[in-house]
Amino acid sequence: MYDIKPLEGEWKKYRKKKLRPWLIASVVFTLAGVLAIVFLSSTKIDFSAFDTFFIPVDNTSWGEEKKVYHTTVKSNVLLNSALNKLETEKNVMDQTKSVANDSENTFVDIPILDGKHENSVGSRQKGRAKVHLDIMETSSITAYKDVENRFAKSHDIDDSLFLARSYYKKGNYKKSEYWALQTNKIDPDIEESILIFVKSKIKLGRKNEAISILRSYLKKSNSQEAVKLLHSIENNKI
Amino acid sequence: MTSRYENAKNVFLDSVDIEDYIDLDSSVAAYDQLQHSLSKPLKMILIFGKPGTGKSILLNRIQEKLKHQKEIHYFDTPAPSEKEFFHKLFKVLTQKDLPSNTEVNFSALVDFCKKLRGKREIIILLDEAQMYGPEMMEKIRLLSDSRAVKFVVSLHKTEDEDLIAKEHFQSRIWEVIELKNATKEDQTAYIHKKLLKKNLYEIANSIKAKDMKLIHRFTKGNYRECNKLLFTMFEICEYYDKNEPAKVNYAHIPKKIIEMSALKLGYIHV
Repeated sequence: MYDIKPLEGEWKKYRKKKLRPWLIASVVFTLAGVLAIVFLSSTKIDFSAFDTFFIPVDNTSWGEEKKVYHTTVKSNVLLNSALNKLETEKNVMDQTKSVANDSENTFVDIPILDGKHENSVGSRQKGRAKVHLDIMETSSITAYKDVENRFAKSHDIDDSLFLARSYYKKGNYKKSEYWALQTNKIDPDIEESILIFVKSKIKLGRKNEAISILRSYLKKSNSQEAVKLLHSIENNKI
Repeated sequence: MTSRYENAKNVFLDSVDIEDYIDLDSSVAAYDQLQHSLSKPLKMILIFGKPGTGKSILLNRIQEKLKHQKEIHYFDTPAPSEKEFFHKLFKVLTQKDLPSNTEVNFSALVDFCKKLRGKREIIILLDEAQMYGPEMMEKIRLLSDSRAVKFVVSLHKTEDEDLIAKEHFQSRIWEVIELKNATKEDQTAYIHKKLLKKNLYEIANSIKAKDMKLIHRFTKGNYRECNKLLFTMFEICEYYDKNEPAKVNYAHIPKKIIEMSALKLGYIHV
């Protein structure tokens, strides 16, 4: 009979030798796999390319969209000397009412277009290319700053009107007066901004000035909303 | 206590025992070819193959089968000298012992053979013929030319020498039978049949097809190497069975034991 123990030892060495290439291969593959995982996990994937698939209405969209309004511009009216070139439209009154009924912390973004073109960011910057209203809720102060900064670059009346409306609701009448004026400097036909401008002057205690502006406007516009506002002012209801 | 592997081990003792002859497809074909060649009027037949391909067992088998029908003699190992070879041949041919202190006169022997032509047909089976020198082989050829004595020459040599041997006999040999190593199927049948012949069914069944493949890879289908491997394998099994039974599986011969046997016999190395 053989000496089995040395033979067993020899067999163990043989097995090790036989398994060595497999062990080396498995270690190499495992390391390669680990390195691949580490490499992939450390690489940040840039999804910015997908942004082109989505056309944002507003770069600072803080809240949920609520309503969309459409408007049609019909005629222009000259305002008094305070505004020089203010022009207005007849059918804007309805949308002004809707906006006025919104809650305190609601931002209303009203890009006003002529109704003949499809909505787009590029066309909006050129002027009244689209008609829609975005309403966003926010309580962030920085949100106003962002819109103001954006207006400085874009001179978009949607932004300035939004600021005039928002500041008026917040009770910041100096600012609402300022942004209403900025809006009508770009587009004198927007009645809403004229009315905000007048109401802001009233709130700031410049009642005579406000009435003078409103009467000048009424001579050319026959706006029922302006008439009602004048009546309210004269009866001290505002 | 006797281990079940002891009998199995003894089945694979390397011996030329005609009772252990196993009919396989390849061996049956070689046997039939040899028997057919012997019936032809041939002077010499060459059985050719590597060691362990079954040449000796084939010669033994044919002698055993034909000994009652033909005058057939088997010379298992070459005589140490030419003198002794012719003494042996003289006795076969003349059926008499050579008187003491005398030598065979080869010319006289050739003449004697020529006289036997048509009267007797003697078949001489020469195993391990590669050990005969060229002179001896030339004398054997001269005797075969008498047509009274037919020689079946079995030889194996290295690859180069095999070719030389073939060429040497080319002009005289009328038939060459080449034996080759077993195929995997033949070797499997060989192992199973050998064990079943000794009623070792369970052990035969414990060597699975995968093990047979491994055994064939180690032994390259050589019957002698197969016997050696199986003997060693069962010897290790016997050891474990007696000393460390946990290491042996009756239902399946562990691969480890086959590899240990191969290591022991030098088929594989560390």
